[in-house]
Amino acid sequence: MSGEKQEISEKIKQLVIARIKAQMPSNLKLSMGFENSLTKEEMIEHVKAGDEQGTHIVNMHLNFIKALTSGKLMKEVNSV
Amino acid sequence: MQNGLIITLPQCDDATEYLTYYSKFVTKEAEKKGIKTKEIHDNELNLKDFIKIIKKLDYNFVVFNGHGTTNSILGHKANVILKVGVNEELMKDRIIYARSCNAAVSLGVECTKNSNGAFIGYIFPFVFYMNEKWSTKPLNDNVAKLFLEPSNQIPISLIKGNSAKESDINSKEHILKNINKILRTPSEPDTPFIVEGLWNNYLGQVVRGNDSAKV
Repeated sequence: MSGEKQEISEKIKQLVIARIKAQMPSNLKLSMGFENSLTKEEMIEHVKAGDEQGTHIVNMHLNFIKALTSGKLMKEVNSV
Repeated sequence: MQNGLIITLPQCDDATEYLTYYSKFVTKEAEKKGIKTKEIHDNELNLKDFIKIIKKLDYNFVVFNGHGTTNSILGHKANVILKVGVNEELMKDRIIYARSCNAAVSLGVECTKNSNGAFIGYIFPFVFYMNEKWSTKPLNDNVAKLFLEPSNQIPISLIKGNSAKESDINSKEHILKNINKILRTPSEPDTPFIVEGLWNNYLGQVVRGNDSAKV
């Protein structure tokens, strides 16, 4: 079971990396409250490494997808 | 305790530079309302000076800009200025906004124990994207603005007399309006990343303690 979880987690990492590689403009940097803001390449390295910053980048992506697919994001946006 | 604002303004990396630049809108609003303000810059952003300032001025409203953990907030570079088990009792009965990652997880809870104060902060990392083109002129950065204006809404709303909960709601509505604004304009490559980041901050922003507390 935990091996399967790890595989899914690796797949998700790869998905997030592919998305960042393909879509993120190179002039954007992400500040996450750690010492230095991250370039596109640095974000990818952290996701690959699975460290604290990388984990949060993946979680941000997952939370966003969950909110989009469940309709929660648009429900909240349309409430204001 | 007296009415007044203490605001930390580190400038030790690009993120804190941005937070400090955008904090000008907060201090301007405090000045407009006649609220006494103490800005704490890098040279005083260490534990000893921070404690001295809090005890001496005893202002009821504190805004932290800076890196954080679940149980601490940093000042200049790696200097811890507020930490569970060290000096969180100094925040008793004060209203705090911490623009610092994760600080609401434990620090926010401990700061508001047995207190009439409130702690508005984040249970995840607070994030924002910046356009590198504007790194030396943060106020011209329209990407960062989308994140930092709603975040500024918290202290500005408190200064205007709203409660902690009302200020949290005002800020979250501003986040949602920004998401709506971006989704309605022709799609740019950065759109999904900005929306994702704004949603992160929306989900992660919480009020601990007395949500009726006012400045």
